[in-house]
Amino acid sequence: MYNKAFEDRNKIIDKIFKFIFMAGAVISSSFIVILVLFIFMKGISPFLPNYQYGQVNLLDFIFGMTYRQDKKIYGVGFIVINTFISGFASLLLSFPISTLCALFIVKIAPKRASEIMKSVVELLASVPSIVYGVFGSGIIVHLVMKLAAIFNITTAGGSSLLAVILLLAIMIFPTITSMAITAIQAVDKDLENASLALGATKTQTNFKVVLTSAKSGIFAGAILGLGRAFGEATAVSMVAGNKLYGPTFNLFDITRTLTSTMLAGLKETSGLDYDIRFSVGIVLLVVIFVSNFILNKVKDKVGNMS
Amino acid sequence: MKIKDKIYNGLTYLSAIIGCLVLLSILVYVFGKGFSTLSIDMLKDDYWSKNYLVQIEENNEAGNYSYDQDLPFSSKWGIAFSDGVTSQKEKVITVEYIDPSSPLNSLLNMTSGAQYLSKVELHPGSMIEKIEYVDSNGTIKLAGKIMKMDAQTLADTLDDAQSINSIYFKTTGGGIRGSLIATLYLILISLALALPLGIAAAIYLQEYAKKNLINRLIRQGIETLTGVPSIVYGLMGVTVLFPITTIFGATGTSILLGGLTMAIILLPTIIKSVEEALIVVPQSLQDASLSLGATKAQTILKVVLPCCINGILTGVLLSIGRVIGESAALIYTMGTFISDNPTINGSATSLSLMIWSFMSSEQPNFELACAISIIILAIVLVLNIIVKIIGKKLDRSY
Repeated sequence: MYNKAFEDRNKIIDKIFKFIFMAGAVISSSFIVILVLFIFMKGISPFLPNYQYGQVNLLDFIFGMTYRQDKKIYGVGFIVINTFISGFASLLLSFPISTLCALFIVKIAPKRASEIMKSVVELLASVPSIVYGVFGSGIIVHLVMKLAAIFNITTAGGSSLLAVILLLAIMIFPTITSMAITAIQAVDKDLENASLALGATKTQTNFKVVLTSAKSGIFAGAILGLGRAFGEATAVSMVAGNKLYGPTFNLFDITRTLTSTMLAGLKETSGLDYDIRFSVGIVLLVVIFVSNFILNKVKDKVGNMS
Repeated sequence: MKIKDKIYNGLTYLSAIIGCLVLLSILVYVFGKGFSTLSIDMLKDDYWSKNYLVQIEENNEAGNYSYDQDLPFSSKWGIAFSDGVTSQKEKVITVEYIDPSSPLNSLLNMTSGAQYLSKVELHPGSMIEKIEYVDSNGTIKLAGKIMKMDAQTLADTLDDAQSINSIYFKTTGGGIRGSLIATLYLILISLALALPLGIAAAIYLQEYAKKNLINRLIRQGIETLTGVPSIVYGLMGVTVLFPITTIFGATGTSILLGGLTMAIILLPTIIKSVEEALIVVPQSLQDASLSLGATKAQTILKVVLPCCINGILTGVLLSIGRVIGESAALIYTMGTFISDNPTINGSATSLSLMIWSFMSSEQPNFELACAISIIILAIVLVLNIIVKIIGKKLDRSY
């Protein structure tokens, strides 16, 4: 029995559902546009001529080497440099350890040890950043203080660039390691066998063939790790110490990163002091975007060399 | 050659050991420092210490009670005390035990205000400041900390009392009940919003979307959300989402605003896990449903979705873990003032925010921070284990 009305109704319901699903997808993906748009609008407002709390000079903001909320001096130039220093230094520290650890898990370790190490990496990845922060201000800071005492340097209770670097290195370790594991697992078995057949030892193969073949994936993990290091806020704020001027090159001196600036002394929810955090937020987004872009270009270049 | 190989291999072992040591030192530190603070009372208590002036409601007369532990005990009133020192190095007299039939179990609040004449419970752990009592000669006397007594003298003095006029005590505080409730609210709000939206988006991307520019852009947009640092979501929350919460009566930072912000942070996670589950649903199931005359929407809602319940569950569990651990985005949207009675429209702290709140103060309380960290770690660990078990089941079912 053919019922046209029934079929029409079904068709309409079908269309409505398709529309609902599509709306879900469109709304979900439009958040990134809204996010960038609104933060940009609010962040740019302090630099416009008719800003209600007094216009801020854009060049002073970008290249300024002093950031003092109390004196209304906002310069993020040195903060950007500090962010790059702490980010890249932590990557430098974490990258070799992560890569070797991934190689250990996939190729070298006995099965049991490999499984345990995998769980260790997963656990480290699931520790929330606030817990890392507590650990940082409870342990790392004291280690730094003791280390500084050996060189006869007094630190601000251990809060220092070194503490930030160590903490970030720990935090990006699981990110890079798990990416490296995936990359190493994806290396063609034939390549390895060829190397072994040519008389290379297992270790030579692992280091010269496996690692070089997986370098593109490992590099992608490093980029991801760096992004996390730049964007990490709470844990870093707890050990950074927030210096008022800079940049900081001394490992035992306190420092200030973009994220710690955004969280420091957050009290009122209006005024220049509040709005300028959005400008810092834009700078953070730009830093992450630009470094990602450049590093991806580098990655493509490195990936093509063999 | 052999030696060189051994050195290289040794390096990988060393790296793995470093990784283990880091995890171990985090766990040892957090557990070592926080475990003694962890207790059931901590889960139930308020964070802020409160002062109470109370009277005994009924049976205000001495009885005869016994207590088997070796602590200063007033056998007439059935209450045991101990000497303690607060974190501010102040000497206090702490209540250790109250006999279940003691008159001290039914107390009335005498502090003027909204709570006047309401029932108050004197819990073990509360600190006795002052007790006004009538002694055996019928004169009114004072006892307690303000009379510079210690636990033993207080217990002995109480044994001399024939009735108690009033008790002034302080609750311990340092509890996390308010933050637990706020965390629960936060999870519920963010999931209630993110789950339907995420599932709809995943269904569209997996079942409907053709390969064209618009759909590529949609996918790209969702993937980009993952790379945005959570602190930036906080900024977005206060500009874009705050006006929405004012409709519901919020005037500043609130749990609702935190929940809305978290919902956006959760979206990519939920979409990804639902999509992964959708991929493995066999095409033959859909074909069968369609050929029986069901429409595409019916097929998806009644045949495909029930098959991905595991994927949805995985998304939910991962989301809960993310909400509990999140701090940066919520500092902007939920505020950092610890509230003992959180409401949806008011600011409050989740467990992570609570740690941030007192760790960024002048006197960081590491013991409590570590105790809360243990709770957070335990929840996250359990969630991860469940996700793994679900994942294994998912692999087996097809």
